[in-house]
Amino acid sequence: MNAWPVRTYLLSWLALLALLTLTVVSAYFQLGTWNITINLGVATLKALIVIFVFMHLARSTPLLRLVAAAGFIWLAILTVLTLADVLTRPTAM
Amino acid sequence: VQTAEQYQDYAQQQDSARLGMWIFLATEILFFGVLLFVYGLSRTRYPEAFAVASRRTDVVLGTLNTAMLLTSSFTMALAVRAGELQLAQAARRWLYATAFLGAAFLTIKGIEYQKDYTDHLVPMLNFHFDAAHARGAEAFFGLYFASTAVHAFHVLIGLFIIVLFARALPGEEGVAFSSLRIEVLGLYWHFVDVVWIFLYPLLYLVSRA
Repeated sequence: MNAWPVRTYLLSWLALLALLTLTVVSAYFQLGTWNITINLGVATLKALIVIFVFMHLARSTPLLRLVAAAGFIWLAILTVLTLADVLTRPTAM
Repeated sequence: VQTAEQYQDYAQQQDSARLGMWIFLATEILFFGVLLFVYGLSRTRYPEAFAVASRRTDVVLGTLNTAMLLTSSFTMALAVRAGELQLAQAARRWLYATAFLGAAFLTIKGIEYQKDYTDHLVPMLNFHFDAAHARGAEAFFGLYFASTAVHAFHVLIGLFIIVLFARALPGEEGVAFSSLRIEVLGLYWHFVDVVWIFLYPLLYLVSRA
């Protein structure tokens, strides 16, 4: 497997720092629900850069991608099941 | 580098090592996921207290630490790349750079903890907060300490293994070495970075405007 050029990693790092700047600057503006939307959106984007470039998932075998996705999907399943309990209690939160 | 005897070839050994680490990381996703889930529930229950409490965290140090960890992922990626190219010196240099940034992260985190302590923000130890938001703020700081402490412990373990692997690299250029374990260590390190990427906005940026 050929190593990726340094450029790829350098650009990813710069993108990560740019996203960090975006998220911290946006937090100082009163944007209502957009504050958390931007914060979590940026975090997701940063995570995807780290996972696909730094962790090489972009060039990994389909099996490895499936395993990586399975972790997150299983978390989503458990979250939904737990919410089904918590949100339907008589003394709702 | 020789293939271990239980594998047909080196490619299979590589696939197997990566698969093993990713399965471990899947358990880590669930582990940290639970903390984030409880955070979500508590924040919906005490939105104002979470906003007030989050403002008491040190956003400058938190942001600096985020940059530190993102950069350490970059240097780790370069260490893995140097390993792929069988460049022992470069791999060692980037591993030590990563360890340095990880140590800087932990130092800054320690300074923050000390500040939190003198500000009376440590639940079960010396927690004092204005009465209107005390319950929710205590929930926030309970989660803040639980998640950042567990995360810092992961960084500490990574740091230890990074130094161990860097020291084991051959001193001379041209001597073959196994880059696979550096790659797998890299997966772990990057994942710990991903965890922090989510912790950062949830702990430091709830309400800054």
